[in-house]
Amino acid sequence: MPEIFINGVAVEAREGATVLETALEHGFYIPYFCWHKNLSVAGNCRLCMVEVEAESGGWMDIACNMPATKGLRVLTDSDKVKARRKTMLELVLKNHPVDCGVCDKAGECMLQDYHYTYNGAPSVSTVPKVRATKFHELSKRILLDNERCVLCSRCVRFTREISKSHALGIVDRGDHSLVRCDELRSLDDDPYSDNVVDICPVGALLSRSFLYKSRVWYLDATPSVCPGCSRGCNVDLWHRKREWKLNALDPRHNACIERVTPRDNAEVNGPWICNTGRDLAKFLERPRALVPMQKGREADLTSAIAAARALIDAAKHPVALVSSWGSNEELAAFKAALGTRFRTIVKPDRLAEPGERIEDDILIRADKNPNTRAAVELFGDATVALDEGTDLVLVWGDGFDFARLPRHAKTILLCAFVAPENGHADVFFPVSVQSERAGHYTNFEGKVSAFSPCFPRPPKVVDAETLFGRLGTPVAARSGAAA
Amino acid sequence: MPGRQLLMTFPVTATSHTLADYRARGGYGTLDMVLRTMKPEQVTKEVAASGILGHGGAAFPAGRKWQVVHLDDGQPHYLCANADEGEPGTFKDRWILENAPHLLVESMAIAAYALQVRNAFVYIRGEFDLPYRRLAGAIDEAYDAGLLGPNILGTGFALDLVAHRGAGSYVCGEASGLLTSLEGRKGYPRNRPPRLTVRGLYQRPTVVNNVETLSNLAGIVAMGAEEFKKIGTAKSPGTQLVSISGHVNRPGVYELEFGYPVAKFIYEDCGGVLGGAKLKCIVPGGISTKVLTAPEIEPVTYDHASFQKAGSGLGSGGMIVIAEGTCMVRLLQVMLRFYHHESCGQCTPCREGMGWMHQIIDRIVGGDGRPGDIDRLIQISEANDGTTICGMGDAAGYATVGILAKYRDEFEYFVEHKRSRFDGRLEVPVHA
Repeated sequence: MPEIFINGVAVEAREGATVLETALEHGFYIPYFCWHKNLSVAGNCRLCMVEVEAESGGWMDIACNMPATKGLRVLTDSDKVKARRKTMLELVLKNHPVDCGVCDKAGECMLQDYHYTYNGAPSVSTVPKVRATKFHELSKRILLDNERCVLCSRCVRFTREISKSHALGIVDRGDHSLVRCDELRSLDDDPYSDNVVDICPVGALLSRSFLYKSRVWYLDATPSVCPGCSRGCNVDLWHRKREWKLNALDPRHNACIERVTPRDNAEVNGPWICNTGRDLAKFLERPRALVPMQKGREADLTSAIAAARALIDAAKHPVALVSSWGSNEELAAFKAALGTRFRTIVKPDRLAEPGERIEDDILIRADKNPNTRAAVELFGDATVALDEGTDLVLVWGDGFDFARLPRHAKTILLCAFVAPENGHADVFFPVSVQSERAGHYTNFEGKVSAFSPCFPRPPKVVDAETLFGRLGTPVAARSGAAA
Repeated sequence: MPGRQLLMTFPVTATSHTLADYRARGGYGTLDMVLRTMKPEQVTKEVAASGILGHGGAAFPAGRKWQVVHLDDGQPHYLCANADEGEPGTFKDRWILENAPHLLVESMAIAAYALQVRNAFVYIRGEFDLPYRRLAGAIDEAYDAGLLGPNILGTGFALDLVAHRGAGSYVCGEASGLLTSLEGRKGYPRNRPPRLTVRGLYQRPTVVNNVETLSNLAGIVAMGAEEFKKIGTAKSPGTQLVSISGHVNRPGVYELEFGYPVAKFIYEDCGGVLGGAKLKCIVPGGISTKVLTAPEIEPVTYDHASFQKAGSGLGSGGMIVIAEGTCMVRLLQVMLRFYHHESCGQCTPCREGMGWMHQIIDRIVGGDGRPGDIDRLIQISEANDGTTICGMGDAAGYATVGILAKYRDEFEYFVEHKRSRFDGRLEVPVHA
């Protein structure tokens, strides 16, 4: 553990760490564009220049490529460093359009933040800016504004080092350099492409689905977990802040997922997610089932529960197909309330869609359900098979082929979304979705991640966890009564 | 010829570049001697003892560069000759490649033996057509004669030499950019650390030396370090090929012994300024070195210490003679257009700064100069000083600051009067 001195303060650096890493880990902030903790060092923005103190007079160099060697003394805030930073920012802004007013990145832009922190002066350039392409279609999901680009090469390095699609490169040279797609490869084939939008330090790379949708300062991020596969990537769901509630327009604007971004968790997904996760709203914002039903007729919750309990009590061979999208809490509640009453089988709610990447060695897993591991630990890994003797089937969640239902079996159905089967079920309960409740998923490696609610639950929709409690008296209580 | 000669020791004829002629001059005798009687460490020791400085521009001691490579580190090592001679005004390596390609091949074989290299490369400038054909021919001849390949001269030493043509980028003449380009990628220079002698080509220890530096090796090993040091000055031993061009009566490539008086070289050996005009200044070693005015060169001798004292450097040995009456504003415009065109665009100060400087100087020449422009040029130059990945940003800055410091009045005149002070004054017959 080499000891180095940052601004005169002795700190312990990790073995092999750079000065920039050491400084950030110890609370000394050094600004940077091109450096990213998960990417290789490019050292091209030159913003992280620090001053090295030495007896021979010292020198300046970039902190991101400077090994923290024993006894090194660096200054991150000297007058020289400040002057350099200011000059570097002037140069970066030389050809930047400064169109923050119409830029989606405004509010979370590193260049904007740095300008206010380290420069703050009007432009000193009086020559015309270099014009470049705007709204360049990089892929079906991403637009590129080359005028805003600061050529930090983060996106290029991402496609080479992380997603390995090698889809991006920089063509031409000097101040006419442009980030472009490889002629032979397409960014459309990269299922991780949207991460480049997040890591872009400025507003050059734009998500087409989020383009002009909202200013980021109107949004709040709620921690959540992507249910797209068994990796369980930690994500942030971005939605409109309560205090910026829209009273005009469609009220749904106030309760929709505006965008999804990764929430850094080194143990699960790092700072990345796949494009399926970006489209999480596609899963959670399907048309919702909003009222309980009995054989297709709207019913109130109490009578629906009573009807369901009657079915459960009458059944001789009941089978439950539990959802692999249920949270740990819901699965435990089911086990406690109904686990002994039903033969329980874990059901995959979602299978890979045509064209979707099945599995790779980056993040994407073949099991397209978030909580299979926890469900299997509780209920075993039997495959879904219903014999003719089954007289009651409780189906929880999506993905069950109702053609396989035994002819005379009664059905209790729990589903969050509108589906034709809802009306055929003997009893139907609309249940809440992930963005309306708190809970945990256990991913395929056994790592548990939490998600929080961000939207209110519709009035007649129930949480599966409470519903199970009301459907079955806990086994423990029953046996306790018998004793 | 000015002083003693090490490289230009033979008359150039139609066949002087061939293997037969080279052998007749005693060629490949040194390689044979080295492979049979010397150990690799001895060769490196000899080169280090000779004190030869790199002839590409940075003047780094070649021997010290070699000593960083550990022969027993269990890794492959690479050797690369930098023949991407792109510095404006410089065409000295071209003379070697055209007239003595076997000298380079033999010297590289010796260097490869010293560094225990199995694969060596010559990265040659793409625009060099004849030099490439001569070099490729020499390599073919050497393979046929068993001077390259799996068993050189029957000693068991193996070396493959590949000539790789660049695609026309100035920055690929920078050692790390050269290696990146050689690897098949965009020729972006790399950050140090690590040094190229630690992690260079394909992340292996690599020595990159200038063509002229390498070509001196055969001579150094043959005559011994002690003899070599007797040529030139104590701190700059040996000779330097100088390519001189511009407003000079006898332009061309000359071999100068270090320590030779520069004024004598220009006025006597090269026949003085074209048309008998007065000398205004010289660009001493490629446009990236600071200009020296006519009075300044009077006491200067051609060696590193003397040029440093005068506030400039030898650079790449490409001297440009500028006659009185030349407009320095337009000269700087040409230089900045070059730097703007050649900036690779990797790091911020150079990418944005070169274009900016070019825009400003274009505006001054176009008659739209503003009072703050000259100071802005200096500020941008200073922003590039020591902040870029490779030396190009610094070089452009030095060149600009060098000219502005000495000829600021010309720029101020141009800004104020919207025309050059020297319009119509240059009376040298440029294309006489």
